[in-house]
Amino acid sequence: MRKYLLKRIFYLFLTLFIVATVTFFLMKLMPGTPLQNEAKLTASEKASILAQYGLDKPVWLQYFIYIGGIFKGSLGLSFQFSDQAVSYLIGSRMGPSMQLGGQALLVGVVLGIILGAIGAIRKDTWADRVATILSILGIAVPSFVLAILLQYYLGLKLGLFPVAGWSGFSYTILPTLALAASPLAETARFIRTDMVDVLSSDYIELAKAKGLSKFGIVYHHALRNSLIPMVTLIGPLAAALMTGSMVVENIFSVPGIGEQFVKSILVNDYPTIMGVTIFYSALLCLLLLLTDIIYGIIDPRIRLSGNGD
Amino acid sequence: MADNPENIEIKPGDFAPLDKQAGPDKEKIAAPSLTFGQDVWRRLKSNKTAFTSFIVLVLLFLMAFGGQALYHHDPNAQSPKYANLPPKIPGVNIHGLNGHINQSGKDVDAYAQAGASSKVHYVLGTDYLGRDLFARIMYGTRISLEIALIATLIDLTIGVGFGILSGWKGGRVDLFMQRIIEILSSVPSLVVMVLMATAFQKTGMASIIAALALINWTTMARLTRAQTLQLKNQDFILAARTLGESAPKIAWKHLLPNLSSVIIIQTMFTIPNAIFFEAFLSYIGIGISSPQASLGTLISDGQKNFQFLPYQMWYPAIVLIILMLAFNLLGDGMRDAFDPKSKR
Amino acid sequence: MNLKTAAKVTVVAGASLLFLAACGSNNSSSSTGKTKQVANLTETAELPTMDISKSTDVVSSDALNNTNEGLYRIGKNGSITPGIAKATKVSNGGKTYTFTLRKNAKWSNGDKVTAKDFVYGWQRTVNPKTASQYAYLYSGIKNADQIVNGKKAVSTLGIKAEGDYKLVVTLDKPIAYFKKLMGFINFFPQNEKVVNKYGSKYGTTSTAMVYNGPYKMTGWTGSNLSWKLVKNKDYWDAKSVKMKQLNFQVVKENSTGLNLFNSGKVDDTTLSSQQVKNYKTNKNYKVRQTASTFYLELNRNDSNKTLAKAFKNKKIRQALSLSINRNEYVNTVLGDGSKVSKGYVSSGLANNPKTGKDFVDDAYVKSGVEYNMTKAKKLFKEGMKEIGAKSLTIKLLSDDTDKAKQSSEYIQGQWQKLSGLKVTNNNVPFKTRLSRSTSGNFDTVLSAWNADFTDPISFLSLFTSSNTYNNGKYKSAAYDKYVANAEGKDANNTTARWNDMVNAEKTLMNDQGVIPVYQQATAHLTRTNLKGIIYNTAGSLYNYKYMYVK
Repeated sequence: MRKYLLKRIFYLFLTLFIVATVTFFLMKLMPGTPLQNEAKLTASEKASILAQYGLDKPVWLQYFIYIGGIFKGSLGLSFQFSDQAVSYLIGSRMGPSMQLGGQALLVGVVLGIILGAIGAIRKDTWADRVATILSILGIAVPSFVLAILLQYYLGLKLGLFPVAGWSGFSYTILPTLALAASPLAETARFIRTDMVDVLSSDYIELAKAKGLSKFGIVYHHALRNSLIPMVTLIGPLAAALMTGSMVVENIFSVPGIGEQFVKSILVNDYPTIMGVTIFYSALLCLLLLLTDIIYGIIDPRIRLSGNGD
Repeated sequence: MADNPENIEIKPGDFAPLDKQAGPDKEKIAAPSLTFGQDVWRRLKSNKTAFTSFIVLVLLFLMAFGGQALYHHDPNAQSPKYANLPPKIPGVNIHGLNGHINQSGKDVDAYAQAGASSKVHYVLGTDYLGRDLFARIMYGTRISLEIALIATLIDLTIGVGFGILSGWKGGRVDLFMQRIIEILSSVPSLVVMVLMATAFQKTGMASIIAALALINWTTMARLTRAQTLQLKNQDFILAARTLGESAPKIAWKHLLPNLSSVIIIQTMFTIPNAIFFEAFLSYIGIGISSPQASLGTLISDGQKNFQFLPYQMWYPAIVLIILMLAFNLLGDGMRDAFDPKSKR
Repeated sequence: MNLKTAAKVTVVAGASLLFLAACGSNNSSSSTGKTKQVANLTETAELPTMDISKSTDVVSSDALNNTNEGLYRIGKNGSITPGIAKATKVSNGGKTYTFTLRKNAKWSNGDKVTAKDFVYGWQRTVNPKTASQYAYLYSGIKNADQIVNGKKAVSTLGIKAEGDYKLVVTLDKPIAYFKKLMGFINFFPQNEKVVNKYGSKYGTTSTAMVYNGPYKMTGWTGSNLSWKLVKNKDYWDAKSVKMKQLNFQVVKENSTGLNLFNSGKVDDTTLSSQQVKNYKTNKNYKVRQTASTFYLELNRNDSNKTLAKAFKNKKIRQALSLSINRNEYVNTVLGDGSKVSKGYVSSGLANNPKTGKDFVDDAYVKSGVEYNMTKAKKLFKEGMKEIGAKSLTIKLLSDDTDKAKQSSEYIQGQWQKLSGLKVTNNNVPFKTRLSRSTSGNFDTVLSAWNADFTDPISFLSLFTSSNTYNNGKYKSAAYDKYVANAEGKDANNTTARWNDMVNAEKTLMNDQGVIPVYQQATAHLTRTNLKGIIYNTAGSLYNYKYMYVK
């Protein structure tokens, strides 16, 4: 177990290192500097601005400084916000994104399990079909379309929830719903497929023969066995949530990382683009590692070993 | 009781050979003989949802690639006079399709307001530059599909090649290749695409296709590798090897046909994925550049006027949703169809 | 956690979520009190800094203008109203200004605002080490240019404090609009103690800053999307400030802004074109002009020799201008209140000192901005013949904002009506556009210029042959002379200076040196009960000092 963990952590760092390197050089290929109105700056002003951002040094040196900085938790200075460290930017933007992501995951997974279970238990009935359509719609309707519809109809027309902004729990509801669609759909599909298999297995037949109630069977036997592989879904779900958050946060004016990322791209704020990329990758890597560990703990059939895959 | 005759003469003409065609044949297979493909097709047809999806997709493809032959409107022709006109179908008098619009709380004939003659009508309305929205949706669907298909093709080539190589070679090569996949898949795909799209300076289709292709092949590679690992120890491969068949030939003639079901199913999910990501990139403003349009840019443009001209977002969104639904449902159907266990 | 408890937790959490959701919705329907002297306003971009020396954008400029104050405060119609300066004496032929400061001006930390704060603030801005991107505005103040170039010490800048309340500024040459400059944030005082206290964190959050204006900022973390301006009790004229609080919220999507406005959550929002169409008759509808012109520059130094030749041909330049139907474009495509450009200098910027006529009317050259497709086609054909080319392919560089995309699409559509001309669009982020324009890496570019202060020279100085913003390399000896006179020998002679500027503009338009397209405006919905907002077309746009809610 320890050997396996060490190996995984090594790969985690290797991954992040590669991500940081590739992003760094990709960004170096692009035009644009922190200079706002280059034409009006004198040579010495330009020099001191570039020096402030460390852009006066040769690229290879900038690279080593950047990589070294990451270990100290420094990701450079933002071009967009003057004198603002990217790490501070990410830190202060993290809260709302994490809250929305967590809530969306919770809502999506819970509802997804319910929908999936209904589909599996009532296989090939109208209930199954409704559940299937709902879950596939969750994949087919892009989150940006859903967000706009939710904002307009639930927010403005019906006035149920705040339209946009970020000052209290009620403001999180619409963005949470918009984000939850995709995890809901993925979970529902996964649970349904898995439970259909489980429900046809011998021990369920035995449980039926023993006269267990339908709910009892599903709750005690089928669901438990389907939930374990669910853990592996968390990584992809989180990645999907990151994607969704970029537009959903923008539409609902949520001060989150996704919103900042889109803005950074649009204004060529390279240090922030790099920082957020590394942050997202680190987050995903950690989640993947965690899910593997959790999976190993809750599923006794799997023994983590050091032998690669 | 009659005595048996003493001598019976059997002449050659007394017996005739039985007509093999007429009689029952024990060797005959009652059901019609089907190839693997035919069998899949049959099962697919019996799955109503999947089959409907298939038909819908065929129709959408026809519309996207051939629609212009029937509907002669240039998707890029501007007539700013007629900007933002709502849908109008001659002879139909339902609100939303009659060219009327709700402006500042009043019902207004937008066509009359724009000074359009009674001959002017746009089936799905116009956009902010007075371009025919129906023509643009057809055009946008085509671009979206083109991007998705090309990206998927590249995915397929890289993914399958990588997977087979990795699975076939095994050992160190496999280990190394697996690490590459592992690293690639622990970077959020959208982030990679955004980086690519930004780095390539928004050169339009090519950069988006490259970005999509770069990230989506890992799943394909993983699946083919797993399948190859299973197949390569089976007898028929062993036989081929003993007969001295070269590795590329084995891969091409023996592995690939056996991998086809996995590949096809995965493709059915890669295409909508690519469509979705393209729409996403275009929506956040780093996708296709004007005057080209994709479903994503159309939705993004339409969304700005959603409060007043909901049709500008609804129509492209509906096409996108139908496309996504159809591909996903067909993919589900294919998975069942290719799975011999699900044979009924 | 065993599975049973996990399931229970999930169920409870889910239920409480729904329950909370129900509660939350009740809170949200309560609206803000109308007579509370509180307003909720929107911005379309984040606040990047609160450091006076580093501000380059409109959001921070507005925030600084209302939380700080300089020698003057710019009031209605660009008028100069009292600020920290109580009295001003101009001497030495307009080259020396002596300001007497009021004694009751205080910083929000209790310090007195003194002449030393001005000296410190100005020196900090021109110091190349500060890396201020707007230090060029100091050009004309004694030694400023040399200091910015690192050739002279910061202390040699032409500003001296004589005691705490007397400030003497020396100029290299008279500047006609010098008093106006003193109302702009880049010339505001800065508190040395506070700057040193926060070091590199100065101005990065609302707390790492000190205020001497009508309002104090709170609630800005340096990266969030909302902040507040609350009344500053230490402000010397606090009795004139009626608003208790201004809440700002960044809303990037216009549709979100409109939804917020309609649900009563904000009192002001910007509208996009289709929204304008539907709200034109609304009582809250307001158009705010800005002193900014969108114009096309043609690269006379284009690396493509044929194009360079084409852009040097006046007939082709005129054809390109004549083919743009500005009226149709502004009204049907943009439709956001923007106006057709009457020339390169924007309207509403300055009036003839004698007749009171707008600058653009005095300097109007019809052929420079009219639409005439037949004439355009004819001129284009002739021009192509003159340069001996059959077809041209032009790349049109522009920003990647919605508006810029619409503009380039429209221009592309119009230009392609000229036979033999093919146009491809190239929409890039703002900074990329700037750097490519400056380095001459373009065929044609849709540029925009916002006046730094309300004087036509802020526009006209751009196209002198040596100016770094002259991306298309327009060259005219006559034009250069007019601008030089306006900035030099005629600086103290209002009429002569006016005529210089009118002639410069006429020369530029007759040459079709640039192709003006439109003058930008933003359409707003602003609740009618918000009164006393002072809006100016250039510099810091908003002054909320006298604002109140009725």
